[in-house]
Amino acid sequence: MKCHIPGANVKVLGRTAHALARFGDELYLESLPDCILLRTLNAAESAYAMVKFNKNFFTYFNYNYYSTEDNEGLKCKISMKSALNIFKSPAHMDKQVENLEIKLDAESCKLIFQLKCRHGIVKTHFVSILDCKAMQAVYTKDSVPNRITSPQRILSEALGNFQSSDDQVTLEVSSQSLIMRNYVDTNVDLTKIIRTQISLKPSEFDGYAIEAETTITFTLKEFRALLAFAEALNLPLQLHFETTGRPVVFIVHNGSTFEAHFVLATSKCDSASQATSTQHTNVERSKRKDSNSTLGSAKKKPHLEVDISKCLDEDSHLFNFIDIPEEVMLNKTSTNGNIENKSKSSGKTEEPMDCDNIPASPAAKNMIKSVFKRCFESTFDPRNLHGAILAENSDSE
Amino acid sequence: MKFRALMVDAGPMREFANIVTIISKLSKECILRVAADTLYFIVSDDNSGPAPPVLWCEIPQAMFFSEYQMVGLDDEHKDIYLGLSSGNLSRSLVTLKTAKSLKMKLTKKQCPCLTLEIEMPSSTSQQTRNVTHDIPVIVIPRKMWSEFHEPNTPDPDISIELPALKQLRTTIDRMRTMASEVIIWASAAGRLTLQIKTDMAKVSTRFKELRVEAFEGPIDHSDSETESQANEDMSRICYCRVDAKKLSMFLSADQVTHNRTLCSIVHKKLVILCLHTEENVRLQCFISGIVY
Repeated sequence: MKCHIPGANVKVLGRTAHALARFGDELYLESLPDCILLRTLNAAESAYAMVKFNKNFFTYFNYNYYSTEDNEGLKCKISMKSALNIFKSPAHMDKQVENLEIKLDAESCKLIFQLKCRHGIVKTHFVSILDCKAMQAVYTKDSVPNRITSPQRILSEALGNFQSSDDQVTLEVSSQSLIMRNYVDTNVDLTKIIRTQISLKPSEFDGYAIEAETTITFTLKEFRALLAFAEALNLPLQLHFETTGRPVVFIVHNGSTFEAHFVLATSKCDSASQATSTQHTNVERSKRKDSNSTLGSAKKKPHLEVDISKCLDEDSHLFNFIDIPEEVMLNKTSTNGNIENKSKSSGKTEEPMDCDNIPASPAAKNMIKSVFKRCFESTFDPRNLHGAILAENSDSE
Repeated sequence: MKFRALMVDAGPMREFANIVTIISKLSKECILRVAADTLYFIVSDDNSGPAPPVLWCEIPQAMFFSEYQMVGLDDEHKDIYLGLSSGNLSRSLVTLKTAKSLKMKLTKKQCPCLTLEIEMPSSTSQQTRNVTHDIPVIVIPRKMWSEFHEPNTPDPDISIELPALKQLRTTIDRMRTMASEVIIWASAAGRLTLQIKTDMAKVSTRFKELRVEAFEGPIDHSDSETESQANEDMSRICYCRVDAKKLSMFLSADQVTHNRTLCSIVHKKLVILCLHTEENVRLQCFISGIVY
């Protein structure tokens, strides 16, 4: 691979590197015949970002400059730190840098970034290649019921009202309003933190189509990073999402030269603890919560639903990602797509099918509940137990 | 207990945010006392005992709020005392400078909260958006009210008007890098001297021709170790040694558009800094003197 990037676009690339650095520690680079893809995934696999630079982003573009016979582009993984080092101050980059050349040094397995700056200064970075494979996440952005197009400033202004210590945000969307609130973890002391709620009117947005009212919760760190990216490039932001537990996709594109997708996992919001809304419902909610806690957090839901909510509670692994060293990837994605389509067409009840793909991480807290599962079921009746008594009740004193 | 207040004017809202910012710089926790005609912010030292509080701020409600309703506990206990984190309050009010209105009310949402409803203009359209902050508060029980009574301070020996706070703050901040304690001298002739002493140097900054509000001389210097200042009658000068950090913290109040700041000194014991604003806010800071 070999490509040249003009000064103005180096700034865009720099901003991209900084935004991606907030997502993951490793940067996957893949060159295809007509574009270059930059991807990253965070350690918890709950946030993924992909930025596609089309051919016309570059002044010169050759996706397989060195490899001759196999028509393969470059697939490699580099560390995010080294990528960041190249783009230290993206704000001034367009003024200093005239041209950036990226090429592969086939002999020493290094990626070479050569910055040609003003006054004839040339900076050359040799970046080691950590791995030679590509990675891709599977998610849907097109067939989702909820889409919002927002001018970049609105959401970042709204986020300005939150505390810097807040780490998750809940979005409650309906056709009348969009409510953002900071997510309050159930085990946090309520007397210590501020609960903030912002309601935005649909008319503030450029586009607002909500077909299924829902509430989603996702992390603020990555959200702030991608908002900063959209704001720096002065481009609107598109939100595509379904419901809680399904990933939310943020899209920033300028129509012609590049397109960025940021995918965040959404976690299930515990409605009882999120109580900034109207007061009377709160009373009800808190009552419900009280009764829950007195029952020793017994879940009154049918067993199946408990399973779903457990899956949804997991922050991580909410979308699949696959390493794609070979062509198997194509088949894989298409089968995955089929599953998704099928589950969607057959309606909501099929949703747990999708969750089967999710490798559950060990949940220490739920251990006791799964061992003595039956005791916690709502249908549990001790009189119905007919098993042999292994230990007699001890004598009363 | 009920409390509900509405603010709509930009000036008072900015002032209110500034005052809360100063308080948050002075202390992590503060007491908000809601009375029928005044809001009080009180900061008291944990181990102050009988000493006056660190800060006593009175905000006349009529100047700030267009609507103000409150109902206390009963007829005898008409006030409401709330304990809250001043940082939480000031961080929630940062956006107040551009806001259109602020509604404050006492609510119960799982725990007692001071709910702030801020109406913000949208940058892109004529629309407004509502931001709600629920700040958890502690309702102070009646038996503890006596701890937050109005400070009963000894009569000051001298009250002198301070020069511009910004000027004073830069001076103090320079001095603070060299010594931790500052001696404030005030003379009945209208001279204010800030002095630090280190092993290497003695630095004094003098401000002249300041208005002296009151002087209850003469001052007894018989037990003092001070060397006499040249050409001045020592009985007309009093001084107090205070912590430079505390003084500098109060001086960060220079962002409040104020009319005047008065410095009252009880000889060697106490410095009372009192800031009056146009809106009739009185912000008093008590810095006790350091005696060896």
